[in-house]
Amino acid sequence: MASEYDADVIVVGSGALGSNAAFELARQGRSVIILEAGEHIPRWKIVENFRTSPRKDNFNDPYPNQPWAMTSFTPGYIDNTGSFDLLPGMLKLVGGTTWHWGGATWRYLPNDMKLNSVYGVGRDWPIGYDELEPWYVRAEYALGVAGSDTDDQSGQGGAAFPPRSRPYPVPPEADTYYFQRLRDRIGSDYHFIHEPNARTNQPWDGRPACSGNNNCMPVCPIGALYCGEVHARHAVEAGARLLTNATAYRLETGPDKRIVAVHYRSSRGDDVRLTARYFVIAAHGLETPKLLLLSEVANSSDQVGRNLMDHSGIGLQFLADEPLWPGRGQIQQGGIFNWRDGEFRRRHAAIKHTPTNKVPNEAVTRRLLQAGVTSPELDRRIRHDSARWVDISTVFEMLPHAGNRVGFHPHRKDALGIPTLRVNYDVDDYVKAAREVALADYRVFVQRMGGEVVTDDTGWQNRDHLMGSVIMGHDPKDSVVNGECRCWDHSNLFLATTGVIPAAGVINPTLTGVALSLRIADTIAREI
Amino acid sequence: MKTLGFGFLLLLAGASLVAQAADGNRPLLERGRYLALLADCQACHSAPGGQPFAGGYEIHTPMGPIVASNITPSLKYGIGSYSEAQFGAALRQGKRADGANLYPAMPYTAYRGITDEDIHALYAYFRQGVAPVEQAVPPTPLPFPFNWRPLMSAWNGLFLGPTVPPTEGAGKRLDQGRYLVDVLGHCGTCHTPRNALMAESDGSYLGGSAVAGWYAPNITSDLVSGIGTWSEDDLVHYLRTGHLEGKGQAAGGMAEAVSESLRHLDEGDLRAMASYLRTVPPIHDPRQSVQRSTFAGRPQPPTGLEPLLDRHPESLASSDVLDGSRLYNAACASCHQIDGAGTANQFYPSLTHNSATGDVQADSLVMAILQGVQRSTNSYRVAMPAFADQLDDGQVAALGNYVLQRFGNPALRISVEDVAESRAGGVQPLLIKALPYGAMLLMLVLLLAGGALGRHLWRGRSA
Repeated sequence: MASEYDADVIVVGSGALGSNAAFELARQGRSVIILEAGEHIPRWKIVENFRTSPRKDNFNDPYPNQPWAMTSFTPGYIDNTGSFDLLPGMLKLVGGTTWHWGGATWRYLPNDMKLNSVYGVGRDWPIGYDELEPWYVRAEYALGVAGSDTDDQSGQGGAAFPPRSRPYPVPPEADTYYFQRLRDRIGSDYHFIHEPNARTNQPWDGRPACSGNNNCMPVCPIGALYCGEVHARHAVEAGARLLTNATAYRLETGPDKRIVAVHYRSSRGDDVRLTARYFVIAAHGLETPKLLLLSEVANSSDQVGRNLMDHSGIGLQFLADEPLWPGRGQIQQGGIFNWRDGEFRRRHAAIKHTPTNKVPNEAVTRRLLQAGVTSPELDRRIRHDSARWVDISTVFEMLPHAGNRVGFHPHRKDALGIPTLRVNYDVDDYVKAAREVALADYRVFVQRMGGEVVTDDTGWQNRDHLMGSVIMGHDPKDSVVNGECRCWDHSNLFLATTGVIPAAGVINPTLTGVALSLRIADTIAREI
Repeated sequence: MKTLGFGFLLLLAGASLVAQAADGNRPLLERGRYLALLADCQACHSAPGGQPFAGGYEIHTPMGPIVASNITPSLKYGIGSYSEAQFGAALRQGKRADGANLYPAMPYTAYRGITDEDIHALYAYFRQGVAPVEQAVPPTPLPFPFNWRPLMSAWNGLFLGPTVPPTEGAGKRLDQGRYLVDVLGHCGTCHTPRNALMAESDGSYLGGSAVAGWYAPNITSDLVSGIGTWSEDDLVHYLRTGHLEGKGQAAGGMAEAVSESLRHLDEGDLRAMASYLRTVPPIHDPRQSVQRSTFAGRPQPPTGLEPLLDRHPESLASSDVLDGSRLYNAACASCHQIDGAGTANQFYPSLTHNSATGDVQADSLVMAILQGVQRSTNSYRVAMPAFADQLDDGQVAALGNYVLQRFGNPALRISVEDVAESRAGGVQPLLIKALPYGAMLLMLVLLLAGGALGRHLWRGRSA
């Protein structure tokens, strides 16, 4: 018997979140269509684009930036009206933005999820840590996360925390010399915590072990770093249909407020309407609210696109008094978590400092050339400075504010005639108060490493962690989705995006997004 | 109180008897477990991610998939009801307890030489040392005529000969090595080519054979075509790790053998296997004039190796290039390096001086590209990613030919059709190509042959 629907479930977006939801639904026997705005490009092609790129520091340069699948890197695609230019890394191809990411796969702490109840600021999650924990485990096993089962990830130097029902699937990788030396010299009262990460260090799900190419961004040349493309392929193998060059631009509502169809467009001129019982929008933290706003759905609370949060950050670069050999091994290994949780959160944002372990030669050389250093001194200095370069990347916990928002641009459009993005973003006082604390830490780091400061005043920086834009909550009046990530206004519309996260903490939100997506898949599978 | 105390004493006595029995049995069970490793039972009788020996693994044969059975001691689904004699008959004659024939995917033609003592230990292990798994395996879906198991009686009549007697005058170590190589290790199952009826050809013993798309190379002692230049230490190291620097790396079925079986063996057994292999009569392949791992590659100036590309979005997205050098630089060079020399520690091995690029056929090179390499040693795991989803047949051929030209045997050539065939599971033997036209004819021939053999045996007995 032919179904009256094109599929049981349509998933919009083939990134890590959409692909995991799609695979789980297909695995459980549901018919699934995945819509992807970009194309399916094999890894070797991206690697070729990178190898032959003259702009190796531009993380988007190896990826096609088609006028019909524009990304944040297209000048003008995101029009900023606030005091801060929010320009997060964003890719449109099968696998999504996890083609280039740091691979950090932290869990939130129980207190992160009840920020308001415990510290009286921001919002609470409508679900608790214990409720999400089983899906954290599944997400970690899907991604092959390497992590420490003994660290206190709350950064207080205590016993293993937060609680977990299963060990990490992969043990942590060995510490790099850079990380060891920084910890040895700075770490007496600063707690260095190993960063759980999706760079598997033993073969996992067809992926090889990380070999320290130090190239997670812009592309892992061997596919050790997890990419959503893995589960897009698994979903297809499990029977899902993956449609590429298919940009969803409208969700159609039926008489009973259920979503009945999604409309997509391609660069070939197709304009297609597809029907399904359920819809999962996994189209990125900025594009998901844009699609809802364009479709005039899910917004009875007027919160769609509001409460936008990034972990707006700052950075510190200095030259240590000894060679540390940054760039050997993984691009990042952990961080200093003293300010992850505590009473201070009543007054200022939580803080995470991460020593970045990227190969620094380019930044070093650029700086020396700007200072007018020439050969033969230039060669000597490149060697000298590259060995001693320390880069600390700091992130802060933002709070949700209705005025920080994303929407569609009133008149700018992409090649398909779909409006581009407009963002208004200001860094709040909660973060600004924490900046002073971070700068005090910087002075200690530099002093303990005998450092010569390159810069300790970078200004606010993008951290590409988009949250809050389709906020989750207890109350349909002030939130877009409930604790299941189901839209209050439409019982068959789920949002699989980190945009649902209502309290940002200081950790990279991708793992939480995948856990929520797997939970969405289970919820839908129960109802179909 | 008294009754209770007495009962408790009885219980204790019973428990200690069981413990004693288990203790007494322990060396036997341990021997059986080791023999099962040697014979690599687990490789076929466990499905990926499944429970040990619960079966369900599909063995891809030219006739079609054969599903390995549950050999746990489950009464209902496994071999829990087998007597030791029935167990021995399954291993040595390919006979199930119900009298039906096994398919020779079960290497009973090799196992026919297993000693009674070893059958006893294996039987004890599979009865007491393996947990029963109450789980059926799907039926083997072979097409006609192969789904007709009595056909195998005729095949057995032709090919299941008597056990090979120990070599005249050979030392104990060589005997042990031959027993491990030929009987338990069943090396010939892959390394000896098969005749038109899919039996190992006696005249080409260990002379190299195509297996499910891969090429199991010549492992005779021939100095050019075989492994005559490998020392005993080389062989032991290779058997244990599947990796011999400057010679070759195990992939496909050999990687499975290393991972599941060989790496667990005692040094003494590996040495016995190695010393026996070095005595295997040489078979020279006239197509070969130099040893397969001698190709040193042809250096190329770095200029022009990596030209700048058009940065137009459509070019960045287009992946239909057929230029082998571009494919190599993008897909392979990150690990094997742009000059094919591998990394300094050879964890990512060289493609020069490599059996897979220098043999008489490039099948294993093509299969490694398509399926990748998965191998476990006792200290590290190897995983080369599979490229079957990333490269089409034309691209695999172009890439493979570039590798052969620059790093391996330049006389070899991979065609697009070769890759398609590998992707489909390898070259089909004549037996299968002739299907379905020859099926009836073939069956008649086999039945007649079987009948003739039966009469021959009957006469022998009555004489």
